[in-house]
Amino acid sequence: MSKQLLIDAIHGRTTPKAPWFPYAGVNSAFNIKEKAEDYLRDPRLIAKGVAQTAKRYRADGFPLLFDLSVEANAVGCELRWWADNVPSVVTHPCSKMQTPRELGLKVPTQESGRWPVVLEAGRLAKPELDAQDCVLVGLYCGPLTLASHLAGVRIFTDTYKNKAFAHEVLAFADEVGAASAKFYADLGCEVIGIVDPVASQVKSETFAEFVAPYAQKGIEVIHKAGATSIFLICGDCTKVMENVCTIGTHGFAIDEQLNLGFVRDMALKHGVGFAGNLKLTMALSLGLISPREDTLVSLAAGGTRGFVLAAGCDLPYDVPAESIDQVMEARDWYYENYTPYPDAK
Amino acid sequence: MTSRKIRIDVLTLDSVQCPACGYMMESIAALPADVQDMIDYTEWSIKTKDGIARFMAMKGKVVPTICIEGDLVFPSRIPQYEELIEAMALRASDQAMAARLRELKDVGFQFDKLEENLRKAGSGLSTREK
Repeated sequence: MSKQLLIDAIHGRTTPKAPWFPYAGVNSAFNIKEKAEDYLRDPRLIAKGVAQTAKRYRADGFPLLFDLSVEANAVGCELRWWADNVPSVVTHPCSKMQTPRELGLKVPTQESGRWPVVLEAGRLAKPELDAQDCVLVGLYCGPLTLASHLAGVRIFTDTYKNKAFAHEVLAFADEVGAASAKFYADLGCEVIGIVDPVASQVKSETFAEFVAPYAQKGIEVIHKAGATSIFLICGDCTKVMENVCTIGTHGFAIDEQLNLGFVRDMALKHGVGFAGNLKLTMALSLGLISPREDTLVSLAAGGTRGFVLAAGCDLPYDVPAESIDQVMEARDWYYENYTPYPDAK
Repeated sequence: MTSRKIRIDVLTLDSVQCPACGYMMESIAALPADVQDMIDYTEWSIKTKDGIARFMAMKGKVVPTICIEGDLVFPSRIPQYEELIEAMALRASDQAMAARLRELKDVGFQFDKLEENLRKAGSGLSTREK
């Protein structure tokens, strides 16, 4: 377990081996035999799940949470809770085309919504992960996903038909993201990630106008704090890959739907780190593809310049630890037996 | 004569865990009541073997994808309201339904029955092997 390995790779540097960053959000609840809805409301359970699962998975970095409803809930969106999943956002305050300003929505403080639980969990988990030389990673909801939570699915139509409204919602999302980034920086997270899965669902021009500009306040906070930044996106984001590489973070993460060779070439061209892209369902959840072989494929394609071995997205609740064991065994085996890439140290 | 309803399948990772999948589902569940009467829709999560089987049967390439009448119409792109209505009108079972759908192009998404509509479509309810 090595913090520096993860930080170096996200910065696009060559590392002796690819660091391992399992996104085990609610999967950490499963590992300590708790329901997700109980786990996510109790800071002691979160800290216990994070510390135990990071150790079990021999992680170089580990997320405090992978829950994109925290920011939305802190500004007034209602949630539906699940026993085996993250909460879902069920109300959208801006859905009748009222802007956050017109509705009087406030940028969260550390006392808003679920933040007291999240930050207390972080304070409890941080020393445990430090002792394991594992980065406690803070992840917050990216601008377009938060705008979707605020306005509902109409935001995708508004980016064409009601641009002024969409810009206002996104500008608010940027401020909320910057607040989250500050909370995680104050907590001491050495890596902070902006998670914007719906940003893969728009055209490159829409990304350039409505995503990249509204990620900047958060990125500035992260970099001013001396932390490492990463932008996480999912789905088939081939069409916005250039936008992702140039958004301004040190690195980015993609899921299993992308060709890792293409992603590696793009990352190397732009001098940024990249993370991916083990198959969540076919390999890790259901075992229809061997997690061991999937890991070998990723490691061979990713190389050791700026590459972080990671799952494609947040691990589903009930991914068996035995699947992750196979990933770790395959990673050890790979570095013992595969011919290294010529420029690997 | 009653028109046959339009069949919509939404291929997802999981509409609860993955917001891209969630808003793809919501684009159907937030269609106005008059449109709801003309469609039948289901979420297929590839976190289950049934979902993977449906994904493969429909020759899916990526999740999320909205399939209308068996066509992969919106792969990894959340549609605008009007283009979604037009995509359904093009695949309506008869001209009267197509015309009625096009009359609803100016109505826009409605969010008052969102949860109820998502529940009917099985959203988030079949995302684990039992």
